[in-house]
Amino acid sequence: MAINRTFIFAAISIVIVLLLAVGSFFTVSETEQAIVLQFGAVQRIDRTAGLKFKIPFIQDVVIYEKRLLDLESPPQEVILADQRRLVVDAYAVYQIVDPLRFYQAVRTDEGAKLRLTSSMNATLRDVLGGTTVATMLSKEREGVMQAIRAKVNDAATPLGIVVADVRISRANFPESISQSIYGQMNSERQREAAQFRAEGYEQAQQIKAKADRERTVILAEAKRQADIAHGEGDAQATQIYADAFGRDPEFYAYYRSLDAYRKSLGGEDTQFVLSPNSDFLRYLMHPDLSKLAPAK
Amino acid sequence: MAWNDKGGGPWGAPPGGSGPPRRPPPSDGGSNDFEAILRRVQDWLRDLWPGFDGGRGILAVVAVALLIWLASGIYRVDPNEQAVVQRFGAWVRTESLGLHYHLPAPIETVTTVDVTRRNQTEVGSRNSRESTDAGTMLTGDSNIVELGFVIVWQIRDPVKYLFRVADPTDVLQRAAESAMREVIGQTDVQLALNEGRGQIETSSAAILQSTLDRYDSGIYIAAIQLQRVDPPAPVVDAFHDVQRARAELEQQRNDAEKYRNDIVPRARGEAQKIIQDAGGYKDKTVAEANGEAQQFISVLDAYKLSRDVTARRMYIDTMEAVLTHSRKIVLDPAVAEGKGGVVPYLPLPGLMAPAATPTQKGQ
Repeated sequence: MAINRTFIFAAISIVIVLLLAVGSFFTVSETEQAIVLQFGAVQRIDRTAGLKFKIPFIQDVVIYEKRLLDLESPPQEVILADQRRLVVDAYAVYQIVDPLRFYQAVRTDEGAKLRLTSSMNATLRDVLGGTTVATMLSKEREGVMQAIRAKVNDAATPLGIVVADVRISRANFPESISQSIYGQMNSERQREAAQFRAEGYEQAQQIKAKADRERTVILAEAKRQADIAHGEGDAQATQIYADAFGRDPEFYAYYRSLDAYRKSLGGEDTQFVLSPNSDFLRYLMHPDLSKLAPAK
Repeated sequence: MAWNDKGGGPWGAPPGGSGPPRRPPPSDGGSNDFEAILRRVQDWLRDLWPGFDGGRGILAVVAVALLIWLASGIYRVDPNEQAVVQRFGAWVRTESLGLHYHLPAPIETVTTVDVTRRNQTEVGSRNSRESTDAGTMLTGDSNIVELGFVIVWQIRDPVKYLFRVADPTDVLQRAAESAMREVIGQTDVQLALNEGRGQIETSSAAILQSTLDRYDSGIYIAAIQLQRVDPPAPVVDAFHDVQRARAELEQQRNDAEKYRNDIVPRARGEAQKIIQDAGGYKDKTVAEANGEAQQFISVLDAYKLSRDVTARRMYIDTMEAVLTHSRKIVLDPAVAEGKGGVVPYLPLPGLMAPAATPTQKGQ
């Protein structure tokens, strides 16, 4: 049994050494930072990650988050400078940069969140009280958020916290006035619809009137060209007639007159009273050619 | 000691274990239990390794255990992953694709992160776990829209993703909602509901990305996709009416264009007809003039050859043609002058009426 006794003694010693070793070392992750406390007093701050040493049983370690944390402020109603009310909530992104101050001021994450939330609420009321709805609904919103961040950050510095960002999420009208907003939306839409309808009529009339006008112009232009063509035709014809008939105007008069007689007097409704002595009938009574006077 | 009665020990049956299955030794309680275990381990090792004896055997066990422990540091990284290695919590390196080794736990630990997966996070959807007005937003013209959207994102930098922001997905959602409200707050309601959606998606994604970059979050925003943008229920009808009015506008314009497309080409056709008719008239007139002129010239040429005869012939031809069809009365001038004592009676009505009397014909 001597071997067993030695073995047990050795085993117990190893366990004690292991316990001491485990108690003397602690790890700090990349996401964490640590404060080493000795009997409750801050001894050391470890902001870098890795394997760390402490005196076992005498020193304690408090681990804080090193990453960016976020929190949301509950929705609250604020009155803006233009007396309109908005229900606003915001979120903050913050980081524990001074674990010592953090430990001294708030000690726990919950404590920090409480302090930050109340600070955010107050700042939101304060800053938004100096703006208008129009500002909130414009590019200046970014500036408003920056102003809020700066103020919350100032308030958070004593806590060992840097507020990286405060952003407004919701900024809505309260439920109680949504009816009037809906009324406003409805009337705006009705106005818009009426305008579209009127514009439809306007555009249709415009297009139709233009089309009518186009038609009129096209036809008038055609008429103009046609008239010109008529005129040209008549002019050319006149010229041709003049050229031809001008060669012997007297013969033309004779020729044309005969033609006219033929056309105007050749019908059945014409009645002639002729004298046998007329030139045309001269041979009717005087068949003897030799006794005749020569024709005129 | 639960494995005692399985007859194989924790690493299964020993190879070539042909001996009879070992029975657990009679337990007499207290420290004997411990000795029993030691004995059992020794027995088992002797089975495994016939030359086994006491102290060296323990050393061998420790060596094997050490080997197994060291081998536990081998790990593989898939193509879509990156592995972040921490030694006692501190970041030491990031590995990508392949087989790698890390010092075994608890010295080094490995976190693998999928860096190619497109994650989708919904904000403001109807079945979202958030409060009911998560998707209710104020527009630039003080109207209200209800919208839901999806953030498509992936991890760009695993180290930043793991070590910079405590709750990346929570921050992502909050920042996205804020960015979307900021953009909607500068957009008019009609634009948001209709043609402005692409613009809203791109600018909110840009704001979100710059916010997350400010947090050094290691998140890349691939896209923001609007799922639905609706007017609130109490005003839906009014919005639909606007849509109808728009459609009516389009329709009226289309009708007018139809009218225009109908009458203008017709007018052009009509115009062509008028112009062509006029051209035809012109050509016809000129051609007729030419013909007549030519005819006259021909006659004139013939007339010039023998003027008297031709003139006479033409006269007689004409008189023949003229008198052929007309009614004629040949009256001797002597009679007309009353030389024969007869006064000619010409009844004017009879002359006027073309219905000739037989007496006249007879004459």
